[in-house]
Amino acid sequence: MKNNAHLVLCVDDEVVGLRVRKILLERAGYHVVTAVDGHSGLEIFAAQPIEAVVLDYSMPGMHGGEVAKRMRQAKPEVPILLLSAYVGLPDEVSSLVDVYMTKGEGAPALLDKLGNLLALPPASHSSGGPKDGSV
Amino acid sequence: MELKRFKRTLLQVLILPIVACLVLAEVLVWQIAGSNSTVTQIERSDRRIALATSIEKYVVDEETGLRGYQVTSDPRFLLPYTSAQAPMQQAVAELQSLPSPGQDQALAQFVAEHRTWRQGFAEPIIATIRAGGHATDDDVNLTGRARMDTMRALLDQIARDSERLSAERIRKWHRQCFLVYAVLVMLTLAVGIIIGLFTRDRLEAVNAAFRRSLDLQRRRAEELFHSEQHLRTTLASIGDGVITCDAEGTVQMMNPVAQELTGWPESQARGRPIAEVFHILNETTRQPVENPVAKVQRLDHVVGIANHTLLIRKDGSEIAIDDSGSPIRNEAGELAGVVMVFRDVTMDRRTRAALLASEKLAVAGRLAATIAHEIHNPLDSVGNLLYLLQHEPQQEEARHFLEIAQTELARVTQISRAMLSLYRESRAPVPVNLRDMLDDLLLLMESRFNSLGVHVSTELPPEITVDGYPAELRQVFTNLITNAAEAAGQGGDVTVRVIPQVPDPSPSAWRPAGAIVEITDNGPGIAPEIQDRLFQPFFTTKGEGGTGLGLWVSQGIIRKHGGTIRLDNHADGSGHGAIATVFLASKPVLDPGGD
Repeated sequence: MKNNAHLVLCVDDEVVGLRVRKILLERAGYHVVTAVDGHSGLEIFAAQPIEAVVLDYSMPGMHGGEVAKRMRQAKPEVPILLLSAYVGLPDEVSSLVDVYMTKGEGAPALLDKLGNLLALPPASHSSGGPKDGSV
Repeated sequence: MELKRFKRTLLQVLILPIVACLVLAEVLVWQIAGSNSTVTQIERSDRRIALATSIEKYVVDEETGLRGYQVTSDPRFLLPYTSAQAPMQQAVAELQSLPSPGQDQALAQFVAEHRTWRQGFAEPIIATIRAGGHATDDDVNLTGRARMDTMRALLDQIARDSERLSAERIRKWHRQCFLVYAVLVMLTLAVGIIIGLFTRDRLEAVNAAFRRSLDLQRRRAEELFHSEQHLRTTLASIGDGVITCDAEGTVQMMNPVAQELTGWPESQARGRPIAEVFHILNETTRQPVENPVAKVQRLDHVVGIANHTLLIRKDGSEIAIDDSGSPIRNEAGELAGVVMVFRDVTMDRRTRAALLASEKLAVAGRLAATIAHEIHNPLDSVGNLLYLLQHEPQQEEARHFLEIAQTELARVTQISRAMLSLYRESRAPVPVNLRDMLDDLLLLMESRFNSLGVHVSTELPPEITVDGYPAELRQVFTNLITNAAEAAGQGGDVTVRVIPQVPDPSPSAWRPAGAIVEITDNGPGIAPEIQDRLFQPFFTTKGEGGTGLGLWVSQGIIRKHGGTIRLDNHADGSGHGAIATVFLASKPVLDPGGD
């Protein structure tokens, strides 16, 4: 795993949670870059070859749904895992991302879902759109 | 018909028959007087006949006496002659005193004839015989005889004339009697008709007036009846209970709602003292409350609605009511009774309680999402840290992870404590540290501010305490701060400021010690057209997102705390933004009925 490390972008305004999640994912063998809000997250997403995104929903300024939408527009093949402290997000948000899970489901669930996303070919986890199957 | 005219009519009806009868009597008297004079004349005629007959007898006596003396020369035979002389003169004088038209001449002839007979015939014969001579000359005797016949004829004429006159007068008397009868009958008839007609006319006038006044009376009675019916219907249709009492506080009338509410039928309640029928207690203390009727009697003006009154019904059950009493005044302005109006507020209370609970739930609901978020974030970190610890043998790192986990758990505890205190009900007011309370609230709402993109700053003095119900005050400030944050919007600023207030003893601006909490935003401010409606229930500018109860409930809570709440636009001329100002006294006089 470690020699084939994926580059994962974590976006969350909760600094402590973000730091812990970074350690967790790094221990699981991922390369992790972090951003504390949507804007900086989008900048990193555009600048680096991000392979997957772990995105918090509730953030000041721009919420996770909006960030995911823009990421989809830029690189639709990159899988997005949306994390939220809320249950019951609007359908238009949850249908935009590949996986949606609530915070507190536990580390194994997160690692499992992220691993699945990266193991699958991009076409199958992209939820649709014009770029479907282009890679 | 007025009394004066009626009395005049009565007098007329009395006077007219008397006057008419007097006139009738006068006519009768006049008629009878005429008839009486006729009777007098008849008597006079009869007297004349009698006198004429007597005179004739005296004349015969004279002649008889003279002839006997002539034949016998005996003076005794001459006695009738001499004795007839005086009564005859008397009778003639009486006859002369009874004059009669056409007979006076005959009487005068008779007197002359008799004097001639006596002086020229009788006296010479008597003188001759006394002298001893004889008077047997036939010629002389024949002359005497002729004169005597003439005298008799004259007397007969007088008697016959008198008889004729008497007969005429008797006929006249009969006519007069008939006339009296006729006049009597006709006058009686006429007077009767006049009296009858007049009386009928007067009676009809009285009757018409009587009927008119009867009509008027009936119409008035009808109007009164209708008006009373109208009032009764109105009273019966009033949705509130209405009881009227006299000035002594005795029940006189109850409308159906009052009967329903008190449980007393009007028939049983009438005449009873009001306190027995309308038995009320203070809801909180359960002490008897002064009856509105007694209060009106004491104060003599309208007494208003008392809060928290319980009405004990006839069957002992209780209902919450609002009541008021008003004096009924008579024309002189004196207290004639009291009217009491009251209504069942049980449903009002329940509705109000339901609204308050609903708003409380809405606040809880709004916070629940925030709280879930607040708790899930640290829990997520703790979960992740535990996972790392399971797979992390390195001592140093493990210690670090545990530290982070402890911090995160402490955050969860803080949030859950803040949440608990938000909904903990306290029965009695307790000292509330405004700074701690506002800090807790802001902590709970932090993520909400984050997602709204609102920056919140505070200016809180270290220690400022007011007495109150913490859960309710939290509800108020949650509302006000949420409103401010939502109004400020993305990139906006909200300032929460607590300003201690020293007491102001001046009578014009009396204010106890306390604190002012100011929540300022730089949103669009309050539109002038909604300023007046802000504190009305169900008024919201948030569409589906708001219950419209927040400010209404907040106002109730602050009033209950003896404080004030106001919402204004910035007065500093900065152009926009609203400012919510809440004053709370440190030691307020709490009004438990304020909510």
